[in-house]
Amino acid sequence: MKTLAAAWAQSLVVAAFLAVPSFADDEEALKKDLTAVIALHGLPCGQVIAVKVLAESDYAVSCKDGNKYRVYMNTGGRVVVEKQK
Amino acid sequence: MRVLYAAVLLLLLVAACTRVKPDTPVSGPKNAPTQPGAPPSAAKPAAPAKPQPGAAAPAAPSGRATGPKAADKVASPVAKTPAAASTLDLKTLEAQLKDTKAIGFFTKITLKNQVDDLLDRFRQYYQGKAKLTLTDLRRSYDLLMLKVLSLLQDEDQMLASAIVSSREAIWRLLADPKTFATLEG
Repeated sequence: MKTLAAAWAQSLVVAAFLAVPSFADDEEALKKDLTAVIALHGLPCGQVIAVKVLAESDYAVSCKDGNKYRVYMNTGGRVVVEKQK
Repeated sequence: MRVLYAAVLLLLLVAACTRVKPDTPVSGPKNAPTQPGAPPSAAKPAAPAKPQPGAAAPAAPSGRATGPKAADKVASPVAKTPAAASTLDLKTLEAQLKDTKAIGFFTKITLKNQVDDLLDRFRQYYQGKAKLTLTDLRRSYDLLMLKVLSLLQDEDQMLASAIVSSREAIWRLLADPKTFATLEG
């Protein structure tokens, strides 16, 4: 019984290791996507370094150059980038 | 038994740390053969496509007179890639842009917004509602193409090449009021 519990614990550790790269990839993909969106709007950013999810399709973004933006999709289906102070 | 278990754990950890890049070139030609107008790009890279009604005709080698030179400088390295410079029709182009993994979801929506804006400007131009010239529209078109190509050229070269090949043909569709009207319908 003790061996079984230990095996389960080890499996959970492995599962956690497997999950971390997946989340990291998603995060990186989102940052890259938002970097491209800001660049397409002709706004300065350089590279997105932090993203905070405000709601569905609504993000607060921090850029490498210090700029901060809110990126969201409005009801008309347009992606809007608003500069934040 | 413990050694075996440890080996399996190690393998799983290595597998978890290994990152496999999506095979983006596959997404490029994937849809091309499904369209009757598009040539099989991988099989016959040099074969020109037959022009069809509603489809983009093959690009002229030096057909541009008004576009900025910078556009050619960026676009030409992509065009030189040996992989299939096939000409796309608009439906195929749209489908491939939707499918490509080289561009993220929000970027695709933003590009679609900008394409819609450009089409609105063409509409206003043909209706005489805006003080625009065809040169202004060409500049906007080139800029939009450059944006698309810069997003694609590193991760989906096949699609980038196909877009470069179709660039002049798409422009001809837009610049002619009759063909533009058919696009609208």
